[in-house]
Amino acid sequence: MSLNELREKAAADFKAKGFPTTKEELWRFTDVSRVANAEFSNEWKPADLNFEPLSSIVVVFENGKLSREKSNFDELPAGVCIGSIMDRVDPRIGTLADSQSAFVSSNTAFFSDGAFVEVTDGVEMNTPIHLVYLADADGAAFHLRNFISCGAKSKVTVIEEYIGETEKNYWTNAVTEVFTGDGGMVDHYKVQRESASAFHFQTLEAQLGADAVFSNHAITFGSALGRNDIRGKLMGEGGEAICNGLYLLKDKQHFDTHMFMDHAVAKCNSHELYKGILDDKSRAVFCGRILVQQDAQQTDAVQSNGNLLLSRAAKVNSLPQLEIYADDVKCTHGATVGQLDEQALYYLQTRGIDPKQGHAMLTFAFANEVLDEVKCKPIKTYIEGLVQDWLSKVSA
Amino acid sequence: MALLEIKDLHASVADKPILKGINLTINPGEVHAIMGPNGSGKSTLSNVLAGNEAYEKTAGQMLFEGQDIDELAAHERACAGMFLAFQYPVEIAGISNMYFLKAAVNAVRKYQGKEQLDAMDFLDMIESKKKVIKIRNDLLERAVNSGFSGGEKKRNEIFQMAVMEPKLGILDETDSGLDIDALRVVSDGVNALRDEKRGFLVITHYQRLLEYIVPDFVHVLVHGQIVKSGGKELALELESDGYAGWAGEEGP
Repeated sequence: MSLNELREKAAADFKAKGFPTTKEELWRFTDVSRVANAEFSNEWKPADLNFEPLSSIVVVFENGKLSREKSNFDELPAGVCIGSIMDRVDPRIGTLADSQSAFVSSNTAFFSDGAFVEVTDGVEMNTPIHLVYLADADGAAFHLRNFISCGAKSKVTVIEEYIGETEKNYWTNAVTEVFTGDGGMVDHYKVQRESASAFHFQTLEAQLGADAVFSNHAITFGSALGRNDIRGKLMGEGGEAICNGLYLLKDKQHFDTHMFMDHAVAKCNSHELYKGILDDKSRAVFCGRILVQQDAQQTDAVQSNGNLLLSRAAKVNSLPQLEIYADDVKCTHGATVGQLDEQALYYLQTRGIDPKQGHAMLTFAFANEVLDEVKCKPIKTYIEGLVQDWLSKVSA
Repeated sequence: MALLEIKDLHASVADKPILKGINLTINPGEVHAIMGPNGSGKSTLSNVLAGNEAYEKTAGQMLFEGQDIDELAAHERACAGMFLAFQYPVEIAGISNMYFLKAAVNAVRKYQGKEQLDAMDFLDMIESKKKVIKIRNDLLERAVNSGFSGGEKKRNEIFQMAVMEPKLGILDETDSGLDIDALRVVSDGVNALRDEKRGFLVITHYQRLLEYIVPDFVHVLVHGQIVKSGGKELALELESDGYAGWAGEEGP
């Protein structure tokens, strides 16, 4: 199917189905009528926002459009291709993210830009690729489509960072498709710092070949209403998927994570560690579904979701789900919701640390566990700084 | 001036009276042992001294270097120079031991109006303490007490004590759950910290620990009261006769 045909089909799908309602199981806790009923404009303007480059390779999109001026990806090693998705038509676009939801359909139908990253077989790309999405256009909708392909035995690190100006109302509707070839390694990060008034929805689809490793860290601070749909498909033996995440929510923020890990073949591992810290009247939804198909013997899947409530009015719905059709597997899951450990606070106090500092230390420690597996040091330091900053504002 | 003076101390846990009039004075340089059977109030005494809010002082006085510590919260008591080595050290995932120690040392220094130690000075200090209390580097890099064995946790407590240099060290059943090798390591650590200024209150169920940390005074705690005090020989007496003679005196 050509891209145009794909777009027409997606537009028809979107028109036929419309936005999901809370009557649908997958959207039971997340009401998107605010997005469905809003009017969005297509008028473009440059973005007046700063960001901190986390690598020498930066690809910047301002209000949904690639900015050559702000980007830097001119000098690339052989076998590495980076650019706008509009310039590279790859037949694999749309093969992973098809019409899972109205958000994916509308993205396919309307996407106007996004990043294209391709690393050919056997190339280890050691410089991270920082994709930056700046948003400050009130009333706009950004349909961003990203495509990442890591060849066999290749390596690539990609950071998607979404930055919005406070108070601006807009809708980011992103879809990222990731192909990890046999023996390939993709280290993927998403830092979501949208405006606290914005809508942010992203579907991330990752397919893994044999002995491939896909790692994802999704760190969420922003958006009034947001959701990450993260779907991993383990298609070759020996694949490993690591999907960790952290959401820090306050005021009336609502953030939903829907994870789906599909073990189609034998001898694959997947582990997911998700944590949330919720203040005020914020609300989080975590739904993690692990599907172990009949052929997926010797699967090792671990999932856990921990939540720390800083306020009585905050709320979490955590729904771990295992669906197992193979008999020789190791699968565990767990979910917790609670407050800080009083014993630990007392222990810190007996070492001279006052309750306020102890509180901050323990809260940070809770979040920090998610960052343990972050391999890229500058990214780790950057995210830790953002987490500290968020915590200092909450406890103030 | 006495380091610690406890006068007619009464304390309750969940409205149940546990300590019923404790009197005890520890002078600088002295090591006092408190021995007693289960349920005699040993842990209550250490927790009341450390400022655990789950334990309520109902009467009496606790003076640390002449200052009434009633008005001090737990962290202020620590900053003033009191240190409690826990019977069950708490595991804290996500905070490395080194980060925790640095926060503790600098909290105390801030309280005492001293300059904060920077990373280099702190590392130098840790290196010098490692010569006194041997501790493996990986234990310092790992999360506080997380996945530590019983012996490693206790050693970590003693290492913290060495780093924090308290005026008074309170050891709450530090010997519980330790094999003989671990016991020796912990005791060697405490002995290395003994000097003419620092005082210790060693709380234990068994005489065994006192073979390694030889006390100046031994007190027997039964049903929330000190029923007998004496020199180190009292511990041996208890070892042979047990607590039966005292425990029976006060019926339920």
